[in-house]
Amino acid sequence: MRTPRWVPLVYLGPAVVVMAVACLYPLLSALQLGFYDWSMGTPWAEARWVGIDAFVAAFRDAAVWRSLVTTLIFAAVCVVAEMLLGIALALALEGDVRGMAFFRTLFILPMMIAPIAVGLTWRYLFDAQFGLLNALIGLFGAAPVGWLAQEQTAFIAIIIADIWQWTPFVFIMMIAGLANVDSSVLEAARIDGATWWQTTMRVKLPMIMHVIAITLLMRLIDAFRVLEVIYILTFGGPGDSTEILSLHIYKTAFVGQRLGSAAAISVLLLVVVAALSWAALRLSNPLKDDDR
Amino acid sequence: MKRRTFVEVAGGSALGLLGAGLPLIGHGQDRYARYKGQTVVMSIPSHPHYDAMAKLLPEFTRQTGIKVETDRLAMARMKDKQLLEMAKPSGDYDLACYVVMWKGEYVKKNLVRELDPFFKNAALVDPDYDFKDLVPKYVENIGLVGGPKGYLAGPGAKLYGLPYGAETSILAYRRDVFAKLGLKPPETYADLEKLLPMLKEKSGMGALTSRGQAGHQCVHAWLLHLNPLGGKVFDDKWNPRFNDAVGVKALKTLKLISDTGPVGIPGYGQGEMITSFLQGQAAMYLDSSLIFGQVNDPAKSKIGGQVSYALHPKGVRYSSQSGGLGLAIPKNAKNADAAFLLLQWLTSKAQDKAVAKVGGVPTRNSTLTDLEMVKQYPEYITLRQQLEYSDPDWRPIIAEWDEINIQALGVAVSEALTGKKSPEDALNGMVPKVTDIMKRGGYLQA
Repeated sequence: MRTPRWVPLVYLGPAVVVMAVACLYPLLSALQLGFYDWSMGTPWAEARWVGIDAFVAAFRDAAVWRSLVTTLIFAAVCVVAEMLLGIALALALEGDVRGMAFFRTLFILPMMIAPIAVGLTWRYLFDAQFGLLNALIGLFGAAPVGWLAQEQTAFIAIIIADIWQWTPFVFIMMIAGLANVDSSVLEAARIDGATWWQTTMRVKLPMIMHVIAITLLMRLIDAFRVLEVIYILTFGGPGDSTEILSLHIYKTAFVGQRLGSAAAISVLLLVVVAALSWAALRLSNPLKDDDR
Repeated sequence: MKRRTFVEVAGGSALGLLGAGLPLIGHGQDRYARYKGQTVVMSIPSHPHYDAMAKLLPEFTRQTGIKVETDRLAMARMKDKQLLEMAKPSGDYDLACYVVMWKGEYVKKNLVRELDPFFKNAALVDPDYDFKDLVPKYVENIGLVGGPKGYLAGPGAKLYGLPYGAETSILAYRRDVFAKLGLKPPETYADLEKLLPMLKEKSGMGALTSRGQAGHQCVHAWLLHLNPLGGKVFDDKWNPRFNDAVGVKALKTLKLISDTGPVGIPGYGQGEMITSFLQGQAAMYLDSSLIFGQVNDPAKSKIGGQVSYALHPKGVRYSSQSGGLGLAIPKNAKNADAAFLLLQWLTSKAQDKAVAKVGGVPTRNSTLTDLEMVKQYPEYITLRQQLEYSDPDWRPIIAEWDEINIQALGVAVSEALTGKKSPEDALNGMVPKVTDIMKRGGYLQA
């Protein structure tokens, strides 16, 4: 007996409705907020309609563009480094390495720590007076460095913290992808005399390209949303050198109490992330193999 | 009317009806009976003074039958949560700790209650509560909203909170280091500027520690020097004047402090600043009197018994900061009367002394002059002198200040500290942004 066409709708309908509400409601609320001047602690009835003023102001605000550039550099460096390191680690530990279970557990630990704790941990590690990093360079006679007190080193510090926390995510995704590579294909490559490098570059990585693309996309989106670690480590400083867009939005909303402006900048961020995600998907086309 | 007189009068008016109310309640615990079994929920920060306060709460419950629950949050997160709670029709908080900077905003948004009606309620008020004994500068700085400037004493100012965890700035220095080098603590900013490089060179440690992290922290440090040097953020008509010669001079002084202090000051928050002094990395500390309880705590400090205190150095005038924390009753508190009873109990003479004994900061003159307490904390002698010069107007406590503090001046001062910009360029560069914020706030004509 053929299943009636409405049956899938019954099964999928509730989930689709819940997802649509969960995704669309906050999005539309943020969009609506962007048209009002409102601050927390006051009744919504007192919100003042300002039209597109907040969106225009966001486009004209030099601080927004500075933060966006900082965000793009931060995201690009972090995601590229995390992808390279994660893939390299997965390739190194995919086989029957002794103590493999231990290493895998060890590598995923940073990902399981709350971002606030990660920020605090790295703040202590980078501490100019008592930090581990200065203690290590002190062993070689070097003078202590104020890592979080200079623009360049502070920016490197937030990148290191992000790479430390999120490389394990890439590692797990890659390990899972590599485990699903058909062993007969690898065997065929070995019989054909392919070296380890050739097998990796021409067989394994192309076969897990869809996993790489999805992982890249997820990391890219996450890198644009980082807040807590940078909040704790530098609070956007020195100056505004580490103020990425999410922190700028936070400050606009909760320090300046301009929730409408913050919502308008959030929409701008959403557009940027959506555009980059679309580009990443187009370039990698993860469903290409399946389509074929 | 002089400001101090006004504070005393305001306190007096709050307690003016006390005499009439005395016979109704007397000195017993009757005022608590009606509220026995209620639970007062307090919003408090992770802060040494409130850690000390927590030790007193079981005694309050034992004496009154009123239970207390605390919601402890990091200071930076506390305001967001409070705004959300206090904006609801019925909130979860009955008593909220606030940073002095938030008082104007909370009142403007109608989130906290005026305290005068409570103090006029004979059924609630403690006849032994001596309002005038509270340090007047603290009451003005932390409790009053309204008045000509909006945040100081004067006609129209009303009491919305009481100081609890209040502070002023004070100079702490390593007695042993100064004695060894034959140096005297600086009495003026001219002395300080001469001393800094010399101390750095001869002591082998940072001369003076300081806050310096971008945002609120570095601005706090800069304002500490701006005020005694004779500067202000705004003129009398709310036009920015922070970039004048005095503002630049104060920033140059802070830069000198950063360059001759322990490594990394432009990244220091309050915690790093205090730790660097307590761990022997700096010979001087010039900031909140909150340091008192920590210097001789062996769990935190390596310099116990080696620290002396002096007045905040004089610029064109003696002047120290006035700030810290207070307690207020939210408009939507479910147990407002019980909350007032707790507030009154915590800030009473006996409990002010009790909290100071366990590491908190005193808010009452009677505690500062108590012989037993002075024996435990000889630094109270200097603190009493310093409080004479404490200036409640050392920074503008207007609702727009957080944004100016963190998103404008906090960037400029930080950029000067790292050497990215000269002090002149950094401060001049922020005038348009601060002017825009003040126009938006209605202080200047758009």
